[in-house]
Amino acid sequence: MNKLAVVLVVVALLAMAGTEGMAQREQVRIGISLPLTGPASASGKAAEAGYRLALDEINKAGGVLGSRLQIFIEDDGNLPAKGVPIFTKFVTVDRVHAITGIFGSAIGVSIVGPAKLHEPLIAMLGAASPLVERGFEGYKYLFHYHPWAYHNMEAVFNFMDFVRTGTGASTIAILYEDGPFGSAGVGDTRAELIKRGFDVPFMESFKSGSGDFTALLSRAKRHPVDVLFWIGFDADALPIAVQSREVGFKPRLIFGTPASWPIGFEGNPVARDVSGMAGWTSASPLAASKEFVKKYQAKYGSLSEEYMAPMGFVTLTTLAAAMNKAGTTDKDRVAAELAKTDAETPLGKLRFKPSRLTPSVYQGFDSDLWMVFQFRDGRRVPVWPKSMAAGPLAWRWR
Amino acid sequence: MRWVGPAALVVALLVPLAPAGGYQQYVVQVATFVLINAAVALAWDIQARTGQLSLASAAFFGLGAYAYTMAALRGVPLPVAFLLGPLVAGAVSLGLGVVTLRLQGLYFAIATLAFAEVVKVVFKELPLDLTGGAVGLTAPPLLGGHQTGLYYLGLGVLLLVVAASLAVRHTRLHYAFTAIRQGELTARVLGVRVVRTKLLAFVMSAALTGMVGAYATSRLFFVIPEDTFGIGLSVTALATAIFGGVYTTAGPVLGAIILRILEEGLRLVLREGYLAVYGVILMLVILYLPGGLVSLWNRRSRDAAGGG
Repeated sequence: MNKLAVVLVVVALLAMAGTEGMAQREQVRIGISLPLTGPASASGKAAEAGYRLALDEINKAGGVLGSRLQIFIEDDGNLPAKGVPIFTKFVTVDRVHAITGIFGSAIGVSIVGPAKLHEPLIAMLGAASPLVERGFEGYKYLFHYHPWAYHNMEAVFNFMDFVRTGTGASTIAILYEDGPFGSAGVGDTRAELIKRGFDVPFMESFKSGSGDFTALLSRAKRHPVDVLFWIGFDADALPIAVQSREVGFKPRLIFGTPASWPIGFEGNPVARDVSGMAGWTSASPLAASKEFVKKYQAKYGSLSEEYMAPMGFVTLTTLAAAMNKAGTTDKDRVAAELAKTDAETPLGKLRFKPSRLTPSVYQGFDSDLWMVFQFRDGRRVPVWPKSMAAGPLAWRWR
Repeated sequence: MRWVGPAALVVALLVPLAPAGGYQQYVVQVATFVLINAAVALAWDIQARTGQLSLASAAFFGLGAYAYTMAALRGVPLPVAFLLGPLVAGAVSLGLGVVTLRLQGLYFAIATLAFAEVVKVVFKELPLDLTGGAVGLTAPPLLGGHQTGLYYLGLGVLLLVVAASLAVRHTRLHYAFTAIRQGELTARVLGVRVVRTKLLAFVMSAALTGMVGAYATSRLFFVIPEDTFGIGLSVTALATAIFGGVYTTAGPVLGAIILRILEEGLRLVLREGYLAVYGVILMLVILYLPGGLVSLWNRRSRDAAGGG
């Protein structure tokens, strides 16, 4: 009888150990919401490539918490009416341990309500609008990787200071798309540029993707300027470059800040010396970036120039690392580990700090993320800041 | 077939209680957006029965959404702010209708499309502290943002639109609307006051769309001119009504249910290219069923009546 009791106890202990082991090996699931269709799909697809590359690397290295990491990628089309059900599905159906992706301000702000209801851990790829930042006030589980709109503007001002001191440029025309991306704080931008010694004789909004800038550029031509600064989307890059020439508008520098550039733009002769702001280029001299480029080419056989590719990669790898360090999927403990992130990434050093408008939000990259490049010989050549520059700024657009 | 309406209502009432396991909240979310799409499409259909092709749904939806948000943010009690949605949209449509409803066909469509764009630009350009400019505003949720409560409120909104549609269908208005659609001159000869009747349809449709806008905003918690006044909403309303069957009450509702569930279902099973399949299905129905899906039902009813 005693022997039977011992056997039963041993069996029970083994069963408990087995259950414990199974619990520890429960597959970690991450939900990724991206705009894979629609106007932001170039960025969404680049991010997807980065996430999948990270997934391969994480699982090759043993996965998360001893099991292969599982991801669910869904297309939100950058539409709130799709993004909200996807977010709910991740939490309630897929029962994910964290949500990432979430690219764009409309999706970012639309998930504020569902997020506050379910309180999942969110590693948000990027939304620039202050509406998103303010919406998440009091939320403890949001890690925002991308800079906010004011960070983007800070980078622009710093670059313009560099242009002003380096070339003596003193006049700027501003064209901005009339949506939240281009319009957020554009009045403050003008005021700040004037404060920094620039004259801004022309500033006007345009409808992104309209393709016809001739009237706007003809009006701008009446105000000869050194710099044309435009804030819009990839669809606007080519018409602005082509039609500026057509109407005889000749700023010495064309500088644009779209989230992504049209595919093949660098190969077009009109792109020569057009400058842009990017979170990353494949020519980045950082060691982590070179490593990323090598892995990316090995997996896809091509090269990406979209900074959302390394951004997706960095988001998933840091999230998985925090889970492994926490040794659990408990969101409080994972968040505590994620907050301690101190990593060399392809995009530069990543450390989280309290966000400026909403200190409860953890903010990753800031204005330091940005570099400025110029299209030259079919490539993006970093020209600013000095630490990243692979060549001098060409001051001769025509 | 009189049981279909009450049966659909019972199913709609049971959605949040359905034993859908882990899918339950997801189902409620999708169902909520079905209600929104159905209400906008049906509201569009009411004015379309006079033969006018309006592309201003997005404008009235946005006006309702902004009226609710701006009032709520200024301390107006939420139920009152909610009622401002249809009131503001209705009042603005009255002014627009007086100016544009003498236009015919394509000219009227273009005028309404232009109006939607103008309203969007105005809301972008108004002072930031008023409308939030291009960045928009966050909206306080109705019912504390309670998901199930908001679903039932959405169902109530749709039922109001259905009631308005049925009221039009079962009164003399139906004959007036139909007569105008089939020929304004003949309608005039028959004693129909054409402009006044078209105006009534237009204002009714706009007010209902404004109500849906206020509701949708209280569900999504934000307004942004680019999205809230997005032309996509007008196009979706039109496509949904055509897919389900125009000039009917059941058609736009059926269209919204099928299209939204089809889209969600396709997205879950066919990540790449689901929109292409969705588009082909939409195109086939429009090409081969000009009366929409409800025409299948009507055909069956006719066959049955004819002893077939």
